[in-house]
Amino acid sequence: MSGCALLLSACLLPLFFMRTTGKTSRRIALFIMLSGLACITTTALICFFSGTDCNLLLYALTPELLFNIHLDRLAAFFTALIGLVAFCCVIYSLNYIEHGGSEKGRHILTALLPLFILSMIMVVASDNMFGFLFFWEIMSISSFFLVMYNREKVETQKAGIFYFVMTQFSTLFLFIAFLLIYRYTGTFDIGYTEALPQVVKSFAFMALVIGFGTKAGLIPFHKWLPYAHSAAPSNISALMSGVMLKVAIYGLCRFAFDVLQPELWWGFVLLAFGTVSAVLGVIYALKEHDLKKLLAYHSIENIGIIVIGLGLYVIFNHYGLQTAANLSMVGALFHTLNHAVFKSLLFMTAGSVVQATGTRNIEEMGGLVKKMPVTAILFLIGSCAISALPPLNGFASEIMIFQAYLGSFELNNPVVEIVMVIGLAAFALMSALAAACFVKAFGIVFLAKPRSREAGKATEVSLGMLAGPAILALTCVVLGVFSFQIIKGIGFDLPVPNMLPVSILLLLIILVFAGLLKLFHVPVRTGETWGCGIQKQTPVMEYTATGFSEPIVTIFRLIFRTKKSNDKEYFDSAESITKRTEAKITTFKFFEERIYMPLANFFMKLAAFISQKHNKDVETFILYAFVTIVLLLVTAGLWL
Amino acid sequence: MNWNMILYTVLNTAFVLLFAPLLVSLIKKVKAMCQGRRGTPLLQTYFQLFKLFKKEIIYSDNSSFIMRISPYLNIAFLLVASIFIPIVFIPAQESGFGNIILFLYLMVCARFFMALSGLDAGSTFGGMGSSREMTIASIIEPTTLMACAAIAFILKTTNIPEMFGTVLDGSILQYPTLFLVPSSLFIILIVETARVPVDNPETHLELTMVHEAMILEQSGPKLALMELSYGIKQLILMALLINILFPWGMATDATAAGILISIASFIVKALILAVVMGVFESFFAKIRFFRLPDFFMIAFFLSFATIVFELLS
Repeated sequence: MSGCALLLSACLLPLFFMRTTGKTSRRIALFIMLSGLACITTTALICFFSGTDCNLLLYALTPELLFNIHLDRLAAFFTALIGLVAFCCVIYSLNYIEHGGSEKGRHILTALLPLFILSMIMVVASDNMFGFLFFWEIMSISSFFLVMYNREKVETQKAGIFYFVMTQFSTLFLFIAFLLIYRYTGTFDIGYTEALPQVVKSFAFMALVIGFGTKAGLIPFHKWLPYAHSAAPSNISALMSGVMLKVAIYGLCRFAFDVLQPELWWGFVLLAFGTVSAVLGVIYALKEHDLKKLLAYHSIENIGIIVIGLGLYVIFNHYGLQTAANLSMVGALFHTLNHAVFKSLLFMTAGSVVQATGTRNIEEMGGLVKKMPVTAILFLIGSCAISALPPLNGFASEIMIFQAYLGSFELNNPVVEIVMVIGLAAFALMSALAAACFVKAFGIVFLAKPRSREAGKATEVSLGMLAGPAILALTCVVLGVFSFQIIKGIGFDLPVPNMLPVSILLLLIILVFAGLLKLFHVPVRTGETWGCGIQKQTPVMEYTATGFSEPIVTIFRLIFRTKKSNDKEYFDSAESITKRTEAKITTFKFFEERIYMPLANFFMKLAAFISQKHNKDVETFILYAFVTIVLLLVTAGLWL
Repeated sequence: MNWNMILYTVLNTAFVLLFAPLLVSLIKKVKAMCQGRRGTPLLQTYFQLFKLFKKEIIYSDNSSFIMRISPYLNIAFLLVASIFIPIVFIPAQESGFGNIILFLYLMVCARFFMALSGLDAGSTFGGMGSSREMTIASIIEPTTLMACAAIAFILKTTNIPEMFGTVLDGSILQYPTLFLVPSSLFIILIVETARVPVDNPETHLELTMVHEAMILEQSGPKLALMELSYGIKQLILMALLINILFPWGMATDATAAGILISIASFIVKALILAVVMGVFESFFAKIRFFRLPDFFMIAFFLSFATIVFELLS
């Protein structure tokens, strides 16, 4: 197992290929990455299933500040998850990287990719808060550069800066939490702490929630997510959404549940954050027509589901309901894996679609099912999984959360139980809206006639860009159908339904009916249906994404603050002949307009005020220095 | 899978397939009689399905494989869901069949693919149907889940056969809060089967275009499969309502006499419910689409109240 270190360094090798130019060197670099990832994943899986821990000291800066690896089952699970998704992502990148960008840009992308993946693995594997933060920062910065890949676009620059600020915001709070823990334990080792006073513990927990929540995209710290994900290249969005958010979840699990001991109210905090993120995430996704932003909002939703699971775990654990607690914890972690798999699958296939059509706006797509049939099937599998359709994996983990919720009748505490019931209703709403959103996404992107000339000219992408997602799609099916057996295999006996017989029966019934129709030789014809007097059907007549989500937007108008306006100008005073009509549906971006922009404006004003003070002559600066020294002396005198 | 389970699966599925069309035409007949018409014969739905099976299939030029597979998927999901609702007898417990959440999500699956096939041909009608269907689905689903949660909270299980068994063993009077559930289940039944006041199963006028609009592009045997799965959905939801409240007569083991009695008693109860549904439908007018959430709220609050009463008692 000490071979782990060698393979990690193998991952870094591509950096040395920077000098040589050309496609071949990038190919070699990516293949080295693949082999490295395969080894890391295998190691992590061995660790996970055998239950043996893997320890390794890499480098000691000082006796306190260490870079060391410790893989227990939790870390091994997350390492395997990162390895699996990154593996498929690298396969996808083999072809994807060759499109767009300059030769130099592609090289940088190839070089940063392993750095990003490696830093994520190291964050998870680190057994020291110093190492954790060190790699956390490398992860943030490398992903920032990756987001900035198309840096000449204004939109990317804005997204990049937004992302950078938010990611530093997150690190700041992690610093606070870690220093608080260090202050009372006197060690940077990640381990069990009991010395923390109640108040400090609560502070540390809130700092952790804000820090990791920002990185994971919990509402209201979510705003960077849709911007950064849509601006980044698709293989990077797949990694960021599929894996990087999960690293934050790992951090939350590790520090809130392992290092600190959870208290009851933490459960409610997590439950509230999770429910709000889950419901609002999907509601925002519904009105989004940028394919990658839509997927990004769904990431917020799914992170919400995971956090709900964690919150339920804390609550049930506190009341001593072991089955329900296990259900919610395993459900949350299983959903982490499942979301990583289907979301990166969706991002990659969306990337293929964006590349083929040259637009991210779903209103300009359509009809792609005939142009890109394999991509369409892969995207469909991803959509079914994320909409929690049995027997795929999204359902397999969501049902655990449902079961945990329904198990709450054993709580014997009416108030908590009623909170649970409200949470359950919100959960069901979210799950139904997700299905509606993916009917829209798949239906508008792939079905009917092409809505623009570019969409009409799209062609199927190359083999590598199909192989990566295809592995993930297969994983979706396997993780779903065999979920019961898998959960049993890793040592949990939970009351979840066995999906294997259901899947077999489904297949059987489909085959029986298809066979019946084959047997009777039903004649089939393709032609014009439902003419209804029209001469020729054009794409303009098709239902649009806006039209599709309009009823839901209208029903949830309280959340969207939907405003419909219809301006008309007339030629005559009787208002019978229209000159110009303008109809608009505007939705209000609550978090951006009410929280982010006022905050940003405040800091802009503060900065302007300070820079104005900078712009003075020497005498003023001497005055500043004098005042500072006096203040320092006074405070020092008070302190000592 | 043991023999008991296989026997149950075959019998239950066969019964659902055979009996579902009869209920469709019975409700039509009741409505016709309420309107002072004679109505179609009771076997009309069977004739119609038979006729459709003999016709050719026409696909739109724009349609894709979604259109072709969705009827199969629809009927498969609903037939598997029907196994979750015991009608012929309550089988011995078997993991995998009977979880109420899985049951609900199998129906969501069927709806998902039906909505996709509505968008497939690119006609405005289908798109409108899908959009409305998914809107209605997204607001009825919390309600459905709430009703199911209420039942699960009262009977302390999430397994449907076990629920039926619990009510059968005791008496409904043991669970007084259960009396609140049927009205919300009834509303859910009306919504899920696309009936007045939510939708109208008999027209595809623009106003009521939800369910019928989505299957507008289907033809021949594929349309027959869609219609049959509609019938199955209606039957299993009725069976859920009936067997939770009045499971009397249901057999708990697989004896010929027991099975016959449970089938006979179920048929009687289902016929009564179908008449109630037909009459109910005749007394209502279609509600405006955006007023539907208010209608669903009734069911939601009834279920919520049930849970609150149950928790406080």
